[in-house]
Amino acid sequence: MNIKETLEKIFRDVFEDEDIILTESTTAEDIEDWDSLTHIQLIEEIEQEFKIKFTLQEITGLKNVGEFITLVERKLSN
Amino acid sequence: MNEYRFEDIIEGTNAEFQVAVSEEMLEDFQRLSGDTNPMHTDREYAREKGMDDRICYGMLTASFYSRLVGMYLPGKFCILQEISVAFHKPVYINDILKVSGKVIKKNELFKRLEIDAKIINTNGERVSKARIKVGCLE
Repeated sequence: MNIKETLEKIFRDVFEDEDIILTESTTAEDIEDWDSLTHIQLIEEIEQEFKIKFTLQEITGLKNVGEFITLVERKLSN
Repeated sequence: MNEYRFEDIIEGTNAEFQVAVSEEMLEDFQRLSGDTNPMHTDREYAREKGMDDRICYGMLTASFYSRLVGMYLPGKFCILQEISVAFHKPVYINDILKVSGKVIKKNELFKRLEIDAKIINTNGERVSKARIKVGCLE
């Protein structure tokens, strides 16, 4: 499972919606229940799944899922 | 009321208190929730269904988890975000419950605490357990 597929699984679990299809341009605007709490849940699940830790600076600048994937790739390569 | 700030807390920080369940609490909760299920209001019915007496509302006992985080751990600066509760045994009027919780994880990024909590009755039986996630406002 690649990073995008893993993120998609996490998104589906957090939002309890098996129909979610992530693309690189997906943003919070595209997912109705994406609010501040689900955002925290997403970050926590992603950190746990990939065994990485984000900083506040890293996650506040993210514009879409594509940037999320790039960030995870960078953290994994460090 | 405790006033723990996020930085005051470490994994393992814990708190507990005791509370006696009264008939008045059941009546208040019935009015508040509108739940008049006979398991909570009719002793004979509850006995027919295998209970010792009418039983306390599970969500009434769960409200003690609100007290745990709002008053004790972390207290004043708490904002309750998530809770999952399991009810293992019935609670009856006049039961004295020990409600306790321990911080098992700190999320520095979001100033968030994960707390393992449980309620024990006077016989030492665990009547419920909960996993609680709270934010710290300070």
